[in-house]
Amino acid sequence: MASKFWTQAGASDSDEEEEQSEYEDEIEDGAGGGDPSAADAKNRYLRATDTDSDDSDGQKRVVRSAKDKRFDEMASTLEQIKNAMKINDWVSLLESFDKINKQLEKVMRVTEAVKVPSLYIKALVMLEDFLNQAMANKEAKKKMSSSNAKALNSMKQKLKKNNKQYEDMITKYREKPESEEEADEEDDEDDDDDGSDTFAEDVNAMSDEDEEEDDGKDDEEIEGEGGWEKMLSKKEKLMDKQFAKDPSEITWDVVNKKFKEVVAARGRKGTGRFEQVEQLSFLTKVAKTPAQKLEILFSVVSAQFDVNPGLNGYMPINVWKKCVQNMLVILDIVFQHRNIVVDDKVEPEENETQKGEDHESIIRVWGNLVAFLERIDVEFFKSLQSIDPHTHEYVDRLQDELMFLVLAENVQEYLERAGDYKAASKVALRREELVYYKPPEVFDAMRKLSEQSEGGETGDEKAEESRGPPAFVVVPEVVPRKPTFPENSRTMMDMLVSLIYKYGDDRTKARAMLCDIYHHALLDEFSNARDLLLMSHLQDNIQHLDISTQILFNRAMAQLGLCAFRVGLITEAHGCLSELYSGGRVKELLAQGVSQSRYHEKTPEQERLERRRQMPYHMHINLELLEAVHLICAMLLEVPNMAANTHDSRRRLISKTFRRLLEISERQTFTGPPENVRDHVMAATRALTKGDFVKSIEVIESLDIWRLLKNKEAVLGMLKSKIKEEALRTYLLTYSLSYNSMSLEQLMTMFDLSRAQTHSVVSKMMINEELYASWDQPTECVVFHDVEYSRLQSLSFQLTEKLSVLAESNERAMESGGGGGMELPMRRRDGQDYANAAAGGGKWQDNYNQQGGRQGGGGRSGGYGGGGRSGQGGGRGGGYNRGSQVRGGGGSRYQDSSAYTGGGSRRTASSAVRGSPMDGSTRMVSLNRGVHA
Amino acid sequence: MATYDLTPRIAPNLDRHLVFPLLEFLQEQQMYPDEEILKAKIELLNKTNMVDYAMDIHKSLYRTEDVPQDMIERRVEVVARLKSLEESAAPLVAFLQNPSAVQELRADKQYNLQMLNDRYQIGPDQIEALYQYAKFQFECGNYSGAADYLYQYRALCTNSERSLSALWGKLAAEVLMQNWVVAVEELNRLKEIIDSKSFSSPLNQVQSRIWLMHWSLFIFFNHDNDKTQIIDLFNQDKYLNAIQTSAPHLLRYLATAFIINKRRRSQFKDFIRVIQQEQHSYKDPITEFLACVFVNYDFDGAQKKMKECEEVEDGNGSTMPLRDEFLKNARLFILETYCRIHQRIDMGVLAGKLNMDYEDAERWIVKRIRNSELDAKIDTETGTVIMEPNHPNVYEQLIEHTKSLSGRTYKLASQLMEQSPAQAAR
Repeated sequence: MASKFWTQAGASDSDEEEEQSEYEDEIEDGAGGGDPSAADAKNRYLRATDTDSDDSDGQKRVVRSAKDKRFDEMASTLEQIKNAMKINDWVSLLESFDKINKQLEKVMRVTEAVKVPSLYIKALVMLEDFLNQAMANKEAKKKMSSSNAKALNSMKQKLKKNNKQYEDMITKYREKPESEEEADEEDDEDDDDDGSDTFAEDVNAMSDEDEEEDDGKDDEEIEGEGGWEKMLSKKEKLMDKQFAKDPSEITWDVVNKKFKEVVAARGRKGTGRFEQVEQLSFLTKVAKTPAQKLEILFSVVSAQFDVNPGLNGYMPINVWKKCVQNMLVILDIVFQHRNIVVDDKVEPEENETQKGEDHESIIRVWGNLVAFLERIDVEFFKSLQSIDPHTHEYVDRLQDELMFLVLAENVQEYLERAGDYKAASKVALRREELVYYKPPEVFDAMRKLSEQSEGGETGDEKAEESRGPPAFVVVPEVVPRKPTFPENSRTMMDMLVSLIYKYGDDRTKARAMLCDIYHHALLDEFSNARDLLLMSHLQDNIQHLDISTQILFNRAMAQLGLCAFRVGLITEAHGCLSELYSGGRVKELLAQGVSQSRYHEKTPEQERLERRRQMPYHMHINLELLEAVHLICAMLLEVPNMAANTHDSRRRLISKTFRRLLEISERQTFTGPPENVRDHVMAATRALTKGDFVKSIEVIESLDIWRLLKNKEAVLGMLKSKIKEEALRTYLLTYSLSYNSMSLEQLMTMFDLSRAQTHSVVSKMMINEELYASWDQPTECVVFHDVEYSRLQSLSFQLTEKLSVLAESNERAMESGGGGGMELPMRRRDGQDYANAAAGGGKWQDNYNQQGGRQGGGGRSGGYGGGGRSGQGGGRGGGYNRGSQVRGGGGSRYQDSSAYTGGGSRRTASSAVRGSPMDGSTRMVSLNRGVHA
Repeated sequence: MATYDLTPRIAPNLDRHLVFPLLEFLQEQQMYPDEEILKAKIELLNKTNMVDYAMDIHKSLYRTEDVPQDMIERRVEVVARLKSLEESAAPLVAFLQNPSAVQELRADKQYNLQMLNDRYQIGPDQIEALYQYAKFQFECGNYSGAADYLYQYRALCTNSERSLSALWGKLAAEVLMQNWVVAVEELNRLKEIIDSKSFSSPLNQVQSRIWLMHWSLFIFFNHDNDKTQIIDLFNQDKYLNAIQTSAPHLLRYLATAFIINKRRRSQFKDFIRVIQQEQHSYKDPITEFLACVFVNYDFDGAQKKMKECEEVEDGNGSTMPLRDEFLKNARLFILETYCRIHQRIDMGVLAGKLNMDYEDAERWIVKRIRNSELDAKIDTETGTVIMEPNHPNVYEQLIEHTKSLSGRTYKLASQLMEQSPAQAAR
C-alpha cells in the first residue's frame, strides 16, 4: 500500500508540474487569476474525491440518475444555443450561455467529476466559431439591433474569458471531437483509484507528517491536517508546491500577490470559507516580513469570522479558538515590533508591509483590534446562548472565557500603551461584562482554573505551531498566555471601571456603571450601589439607551432589590422590584426567557430579535428567588397597610400586583397546601393578617429557594424579626379599637420581641399618628385614645383630599397652557403639602423633592437630588408612595428608596393623576418599545 | 476623645493658614502629644513664607538654638522675593495709598484701567504684580495687608478667574483676622459667584462649595449666634448634596446647628432623613443622637449618646463654646419627643433620661410648663408628669385642609384672567 502511494505521488508529480506552469502563467495574467486558480483547485480536489463515491456501488446508482438529469438539461440548453445561432439572436444566446455555465457547475457537483463534460466543450467550441463568424461579418453586425449588438459584445468578452480555462480541452476537442472524452474518462478512473488510496494513506500518514513535511518534497501530506481541513487542502498542496519547494525563491512580491488574490476571492460565489481560511493561514507561514504576516493574519481573522455567515448561528468553537490564537499571534507581533502601528483610519500605502523588520520608521497596517475583539466576544456570547446549558459542552465552553480574558487583557494593554484610551475603555468594558455577574466564589474558581489549566494549553499550542513548515517570520510568544486576576473581583472591577469612567463614551460609561452597580449589589454593598445609581441619573435617561443596556439596567435593578432584601431594607427592595413585576413580563425584562403574551402574537422577526437578546444560562438571576423576595417585601408592606386602611382599601395601594394575587387567592373556595412560591407567600399573608406570625414564618421558611442565599441564616433571622414586627403592627392596627390599654409585657410575649424593639415599633406608630395611643410610663402600658374618625368624618377627609388634587391638576393644566411663570411651582408645592398632610407626614420629603426638581442642572455632582430631578410629575407621583412609606416604615426610610420609583414612575405618575392609573409596565424599561415601533 | 476629632478630615479643605487656629486649639486641648502638633505646624509652614515662625517652632520642638540650613536659605529667598515683588507693585501701591488719586477711580472698571494707564502708566503688569504681592503678603502672615491689597485688586481686575482667587484670599485673610462681619460679606459674595458661575466642570463646583462650607465654619461658629445662617447655607440642596457626596463629616456641624437652633423645625425632619441616609458613610455621637431620638425612639440610647456628645463638643474647636446650649436643646428634644408618646411619666425616669437629678428635672419641667412649652401637669403625690391629651380637632383639621383651596383657586382664576386679555390683545 505504502509503496503504491509513493509511486503514485511520484507519478503525479510530473503531471502536476505541467499544470503548475500553466497555473503560474495565469498568475501572470493578473486580475482574472483568482478565479481560475480556485476552480483549478476544485477540480483537483474533486477529482480525488470523485472515486471515493464511485467506489461504492449503491451510491453510484443514485448519482447516476442525478447526473443523467443534469446532462439532459445541458443537452437541451445546447439545443437552445443551436436554435439561437440559427436566428442570430445574441440576447438569448447570452442567456443560454449563462445557463449552461450554471448547469456546468451543477453537473460538476452532482457527478463530482473533475473532467468537464465534452458536451460543454462542444458548446463552447460552437459558440466560439459562431462568434468569430459573427465578428468577421461586419455588415451583419451593423444591421443588428442595439440590444443584440450589446449582447454580442458581452458574449465575446465572456466567452474569451471562459474559454481560457478550457483552452487545452478545446484544442483537443478540435483535433479529435467526441472520441477524446471516453479515453480521458478511463484515464481519470485510474488516476482516481490511486488518489483514493492516497487518502486512506493520508490518515495513517498523519503521525509521520512533520517529518515528511520537513522534507518539503512531497505535498500531499498537508491534506492530513485533520478533520475538515483534509478535504480542502488540495489548494494548499498547490500553494505549498509553489512556496515550500524552494523557500529562498519566495519573495515578498509573490506572497503579496497571492495574498491579494486570495483576499479578492473573499465573498465571491464558490469561494469556500474554510478553504480561504486555510489558504490565508498558509500564507502567514510564508510571509516575509512581520508587517506582512500581520496583515495576512488580520485577513485570517476576518475570514474566520466569515465562516459563519448567519446572524443566528454561532461560530464553530474550534474556529473560535483558532481565531483567538491568531489574535494572540497578532498581539505578539505588535508587541515585538513597536514600529508597527495598527490603524483603521489611514489607508496604508501599497507596499507598506514590504518594509522589513529593521525598518526604522512607523509601518502602518490596516486593522481594528477592538472590532475584532468585540466580534470574538459576540461570538462567544452567541455560542453560550445556543448551547444547551445542561450539557458538558456548555461547561467546557464557559472555560474558554479565560482565553478571551487573556486576549482582552493583552489588547487593552496594547491600546493603553499606544495611548488609545478610548478603545482601551471599550475593551475594558468587555472584560467587565464577563466579570460583573460573578459572585466572589465563582470569581475565585475562575482564578484557580486559570492558574491550573495553563500548563497543558500552551503545550498544545506549541505542538500545533511546530507542525507545518517552519514559518519565515518566527514570532516568539511575547504576550502572556495566562490571564492575571487580582485578589478579588472588586479590585478588578474598580480597575476597569475607573479606566472606563475616564475615557469611555456615554454608552460605555452607562454600561460600566450598571455593571458596577450590579456587582456592588452582588456583594451586598447596597448603599454603594444605590449611591452610584442615583448619582449617575441612569434612571432618568435609560429609556433613551439601546435595548441591551436597558436589559442590563433591569437586571441591575433586580440585583439591587435582592441586595436590599438581604441587608434587610424591605421598602427599598420592594421599590426596586415592584416595577419589574408590575407588567408581568419579568422574564422578558430580564432577558431570561421569552414570555408569551396572550394578547398579541409576536411576529417571527420579533421573536428572533428577542431570542438574540437572551442571557446565557449562567448569568441568570433565579426567578423564583426574585419572585419570592418581591412578594415577601410586598407582603410586609401591604399587610399592615391593609389593616390601617380597612375603610377604603382601594385608596393606598403599595403593591398592586400583590393585591391582585391576594384577591385571586381569596376567591378560591378551597385552599390547598402551598405549592409554588406564590402560594407560599399567600399562605403566609393569610396567617400574618390574623397576626399569626409563627405560622407565617413557618410557611416562608419552608420555601426551598432560600438555599440559594449565601448567608441564609442571617437573612432568615432578619426576615423573622421583620415578620414579627409587622405582625405586631397589624395586630395593633386591627384591634386597637377593641382595647382600652395593653401592657408592653403582653405585647412582648405575644410577638416574641425584645422590649426595646416593641417599644420602638409602638412609639414609631404613635409619632406617625398611625396609632392613636400613648404610653403610660409607670405601668408600661399602651393607652388607646378613642379618636377613630366616624364614617362621615373620614369621608369628608377624603373629600378634602380630592379637592386638593383637583386644585392641583387645575394648576398643572394652567401651567401646561403656558401660564406658569415663577409663582406656580411655589404654589403647587403648597398644594402638595396639603395633599400629603393627609398621607401622613410625608410633606417635607416632597418639598425636598420639589426643590430637587426645580434645581434641574447642577450636573452629576447634584447627586442625591436624583429622584427629585425627575421632575414635577415624579415628585407628585412619588409623594403618595413616600407618604405611605412613612406610615408603613415609621422610620421614614429616607427618600432615596422612593427615588427609585420616583425616577421610574415619572411617566406613569403624570398619567395617573390625569386619568385612570394605567398598568405600571411603562415604568420599567419596556423592551417591546423597540419592537413595536 | 481623639476618635471623634475631625481635624484631619477638615484640614485638607482649608487653606494652610486656616489650619493654624485648629492646631492651636488642639494644642490647648492636649488631645495629641505636643510634639506631633508642632511637627505638623512646621510641615504646614514649610510651604508658606512664614519662615520666622517656623524657626521658632523648630526651636521649641527640638529645644535647640540651631535652625536647619534650608530654613535659613528659604528665609533669604523669601526676603528677596518680597523685595522684588514690592518693587514691581510699587507704582500701584503708591497710587492706592494716595487718597486723592484713589478718589479719581470710578465704578467703571474700563474707565479706571484706561485712566491708570494714561495718567500713571500703570498697566496690566502692575496690576498683576499687585495680586502677586498681596498673595505674598498673605503667605507671610500679613493678613491685613493682604486683605487690603486684594480688595483693591478686585476693583481693578478684569480676569474673572483671578478675581475669584482674590476673593478666596480676601475671605481667608478676614477669617484669620477674625473680622467676622466683613468675612460674612465676602462669604456671601463668593457664594454668589460659585452658584452663578458656570464652572468648567460640576466637580469643580462641588469642590468650591465644600471649601466654602469648611471656611464658613470659622465664621458661623464664632459669629452667628443662633446658627441660622449656617443652616441656611448648608441646608440648601446643592450644598447638602455636596456634603453628602464629598464631605459627610460636615453633617456634624449642621446637626449641631440644628439642635441649637429651635426655629428651623420645618427643615429639621428633612435633615433627619439625610442623616439616616448617610449613616453608612458617616456617623458620630451627634448624628447618632438624632437618629436615636427621631428614628428609633430609643431614649436610653439617646441618653448615652448625649453623654458622648458632650465629649465630642469638648474636643471640637468651633463648637465648644456652644456646649451648654447644645446640651440644653438636646435635652429639650428628648423631652419633647418623649412627652409626645406618653401619657404619664415617672419623674425619676424622666430625670434620668434627661441626664439631670430629680430636683433639677422638676424645676426644669415646671419652667417648661410655665412657659407653656409643655402641655402637662405634675402630680407630686405619685411623682409623675401627666400629659394633657392633645388631639387635633377633626373640624379644625378639615378647615385646615380646605382653607387654602379657595385662595389657590382664586389665584389661579386671576392668573387666567390676566392671561386671557394678553392673548386677546395678541
